[in-house]
Amino acid sequence: MTAEKEIVYDRIPVPTWRWLGVNEVRVPAAVFRDAPIQRLVTIPAGETREMTVVCRSEAAFEFRAELGPEAELRLTRVRLSPEGTPCADKVKATLAENARLVYTAVELGGDGAADLLDVDLAGDGSRADVAAFYFADGRQRLDMNYRIRQRGKRTDATLVVQGGLSGEAEKNFRGTLDFARGAAGSAGRERETVALLSPKAVNRSAPLMLSGEAEVDGRHATSVGRLDEEKLFYLTSRGLSPADAKRLIVLAAAAPVLDRLTDGALADEIRSQIEGRLSDG
Amino acid sequence: MAKSKTYIEDIERTLYDVRDENRPRFRSGTGLSEEIVRDISRRKQDPAWMTELRLASLAVYHETPMPAWGPDLSSLDMDRIATYVQPDAVMAGRWEDVPEEIRGAFDRLGIPEAEKESLAGVGAQYDSEVVYHSIQSSLTKQGVIYTDMETALREHEEIVREHFMKLVPPRDHKFAALHGAVWSGGSFVYVPAGVEVKIPLQSYFRLNAPGAGQFEHTLIIVEKGASLHFIDGCSAPKYNVTNLHAGCVELYVREGARLRYSTIENWSRNMMNLNTKRALVEAGGLIEWVSGSFGSRVSMLYPTSILSGEGARCEFTGVTFAGRGQHLDTGATVLHAAPRTSSVIHTRSISKDGGAAVYRSGVKIAAGAKGAKCSVNCDSLMLDDESRSDTIPVMDVREDDADVGHEAKIGRISDEAIYYLTSRGISEDEARAMIVRGFVEPIAKALPLEYAVEMNNLINLELEGARR
Repeated sequence: MTAEKEIVYDRIPVPTWRWLGVNEVRVPAAVFRDAPIQRLVTIPAGETREMTVVCRSEAAFEFRAELGPEAELRLTRVRLSPEGTPCADKVKATLAENARLVYTAVELGGDGAADLLDVDLAGDGSRADVAAFYFADGRQRLDMNYRIRQRGKRTDATLVVQGGLSGEAEKNFRGTLDFARGAAGSAGRERETVALLSPKAVNRSAPLMLSGEAEVDGRHATSVGRLDEEKLFYLTSRGLSPADAKRLIVLAAAAPVLDRLTDGALADEIRSQIEGRLSDG
Repeated sequence: MAKSKTYIEDIERTLYDVRDENRPRFRSGTGLSEEIVRDISRRKQDPAWMTELRLASLAVYHETPMPAWGPDLSSLDMDRIATYVQPDAVMAGRWEDVPEEIRGAFDRLGIPEAEKESLAGVGAQYDSEVVYHSIQSSLTKQGVIYTDMETALREHEEIVREHFMKLVPPRDHKFAALHGAVWSGGSFVYVPAGVEVKIPLQSYFRLNAPGAGQFEHTLIIVEKGASLHFIDGCSAPKYNVTNLHAGCVELYVREGARLRYSTIENWSRNMMNLNTKRALVEAGGLIEWVSGSFGSRVSMLYPTSILSGEGARCEFTGVTFAGRGQHLDTGATVLHAAPRTSSVIHTRSISKDGGAAVYRSGVKIAAGAKGAKCSVNCDSLMLDDESRSDTIPVMDVREDDADVGHEAKIGRISDEAIYYLTSRGISEDEARAMIVRGFVEPIAKALPLEYAVEMNNLINLELEGARR
């Protein structure tokens, strides 16, 4: 990416050493040359909505949702910007009592892409089920900052992120589970699995867990490394080329996320793009 | 089952809080100026290069901002800190020769007794100067050097000059610069190639003066194929003014060498503990950190391991106990800079009565560190709703042929575990006691027996069954 002017678009909730390079999400100022496209969705009590947002060219997109009691939002956001396009997406959701957010994200696009998620489980019994898949290659730079604040009692959060990095791609993922004082009986689980497909790819993972409440169950796990050699061996011993085996393993990692998409054509398009880019790599 | 909370006694501090009557021979003025730094250097009869290092560090200190992350350090006012307090004693090689009121402090802590029973050498620092140092003659005959830093600077100047503040340069951060400017005391250990020091060496640091700082420097070199277990312990009585500890530890672990560095830190609750520890590990070497953080009002402590040679290894085992008024920000950093290096980080933290325990780490796998492996596991136990427990780990991986795993848990004592144990005839109080003891057991196991006992005494896990 060229050394053009950047702006700080977001920050990690609790800063750490600057040398680790995760304190701030920076995006090219060019992203905001035009005003961001903004959407505000209010879901009344007890209602369910399903929405899919596909960002193909917009530089910046901001989505805000307010869920009433017992409301449910099934939101899918897919970023498929053309190569070289900087972009920034921000999703914020606030949930009242027993509301539920099912959020699925696929991040494939842009160069200098920021992907932010801020979920506020404000109401007692509210739940967030977040699954994301990303793939970056070439000299793509991807900067993700996901935060789930658990403020209500008995809230539940699941944050599962899987991804692959190829070429000279560089990715930051910050995933924060933040249990506020008073969030008694809440549980949060976070897992990130990163497959490194190239010796020049750079991965930074920052799985934060913050707690001001004793009566919680918070867990996170991160795994970073090359593709499972046993799987690769198994597939190549059955006649697949190493490249095909690699493609199959990455698509298998994406499957749990893509299976959540209700738009089959969109899921096929994503699969096709991942396959194509893995072939190019 | 009705919800109940385990009451865990605060750390028993009586032993550490006794103030000694020793009047210092000299106490520098408060604040930090070139005049004070030059005066310290003159009193210590530094060689010219050390004076220059002090002055250069002072300049870095003044131009470096306070950390923009971590605990609140706003109550630290350097204009109220005396950076050099010389006790009224000269360094002795026999406990009998240490002034009685100073020796009393170490007697109460059991240091002379420990020396007789389980240590190969002891160093004892009181305020800014080392007052006692000894080493078994069998080790001296093998070429092992264990002495205070000032003596090392006089008698082994070239070795010191080659290594001093090379791993932790003054530009590293503001308190490294402060240390470079006003350091005093500390220990120097040199273990020649192939020598195994089978019994630990221990240095003990005591800060008795109110409103003062302690800035000891520890430099350890373990040559090729050698091994050493070094223990440091720290304590201070409590005063109503802020004390500051900004020590520096530099460890060189050569090819195939092994160093275990154990710390039981129990500074008083008016202490700002801003210590820096770093190890450079060459091919096939091993650094083992065992770290217990119990004292201080504020602690920022993250031992760093630089795995520079192929197959170098690091194991970090730490426990942090944060009680009322404490903000203990601890953890570790590891740089994997060579192929087939490996690291294991294993921590446990407990927070209670409004204390904040923060686990912070940074693991970097550099490009080319093929086959590097890192495993991090950090668990936190919160004992009430007034306290905080945060984990802030970051992994930076620049090599595809690497395997990095991180797991963390935050929570309280589980009802299911209590139910399981009580259903087998164990009382609820004892069940809770067992669970909390089990929580810190992996750390206790990493300590030599006598220090595990000390840790248990520190935690004083007397589960009274009191409910709140």
